[in-house]
Amino acid sequence: MKTANAIEVRGLNLAYGTASVLRDVNLTIPRGAVVGLVGHNGAGKTSLIHCLLGAIVAQEGSVEVLGENPMGFSDPVRAQIGYVSQTPELLEWMKAKQYLDYISAFYAEWNAGRVNELMAKWGMDPKQKISDMSLGQKQKVALLQAIGNSPTLLVLDEPVASLDPIMRRDFMRSLFDDGAERTIIVSSHLLSDLERIITHLILVKDGKILVSEEWDLAVENLQKVRLPQPLEPQAGLISQHSQNGQVTAVVDVRSFDPRALPPSATLTTMNLDEIFVEVMS
Amino acid sequence: MDPIQFDINPSASIPIYKQIVLQVQRMVLGGNLARGADLPSVRTVASQHAINPMTVSKAYSQLEVMGLIQRVRGQGMIVAATSARPKSLKQRLELLRPIVRSAATHARELDISLEDAIKEFKDHYGEESK
Repeated sequence: MKTANAIEVRGLNLAYGTASVLRDVNLTIPRGAVVGLVGHNGAGKTSLIHCLLGAIVAQEGSVEVLGENPMGFSDPVRAQIGYVSQTPELLEWMKAKQYLDYISAFYAEWNAGRVNELMAKWGMDPKQKISDMSLGQKQKVALLQAIGNSPTLLVLDEPVASLDPIMRRDFMRSLFDDGAERTIIVSSHLLSDLERIITHLILVKDGKILVSEEWDLAVENLQKVRLPQPLEPQAGLISQHSQNGQVTAVVDVRSFDPRALPPSATLTTMNLDEIFVEVMS
Repeated sequence: MDPIQFDINPSASIPIYKQIVLQVQRMVLGGNLARGADLPSVRTVASQHAINPMTVSKAYSQLEVMGLIQRVRGQGMIVAATSARPKSLKQRLELLRPIVRSAATHARELDISLEDAIKEFKDHYGEESK
């Protein structure tokens, strides 16, 4: 059955031994959303992705992906998911095209025409041995592996860090140019890339979700304000930090009462880079 | 006539869909985009700027609801026949306001005086109007 939401996570808690990794994570991701998963290294992004893919089981909480529990994915659902990990795990002794042909055998709906077309467009040598490739070239192979079957859900964990800006734009275009409805989750530090494509933003800090919001609403409603002293904890206050005696607070203007601010304070909107810096500091 | 080129800055603190909406509004209401003129397809705009096609669709849908553009079967989006240029200065100023507000904030942040900011604006106004 096709569910309205691609992903639903409720009350997820994950710990490795005594170290808490994910704390009470709740997420609802509608089908067709492009989600930017953003946070420091070690914030829990990769662990969250592993929970979504069924690679880790959390101690508490429930996860549903494309209507199923990841621990018991059926073959048809598994075939709808594409995944690129931080470090591509490829069969190094094979050549690029040989490898992708080999992978294609596992999928009923592999689009060989599109894969070959993208391979040419991305300047790849089909006969190059994977072990001879740079990290960037390996990432291209891994990306083709993930999108070759036109997945309904594509999960990308720092997929393009080693690629140049032109190649990254080409890759972003390739996510959409087949016109299929696709839910995409991208974990990346390349925030200016994310700004081009995301519909939703998830900010993770220390295993907790600080912001989970439609991006167009986040960019308009999360605003910063500089203050002489910190604000009392209150509705709409998302974060604050002080530096050199000056406090910068981030508030959600939809729920924050501006009467809490001194008259001279001005609220200003931010781009993703600024939101990251101000909320994560 | 050349197809319209949108000026999109993904790193601005205005949502991309709104950047497109404001530009089409300005061009249509300012008379720079004639009734019946074609808009580039969602796919063309998305591919050109490497942005999400859904964002472009969102902008076009909003412009359609506003009555500024209309969908023509087999032809895509065109500037609506009924879209009239507003006569009032007040309406046109309203369209300018978001950009001026953002420029004013930046000027303050950069510690640029009102006088210098206005001089800068004047220089550009002359340059663009030639």
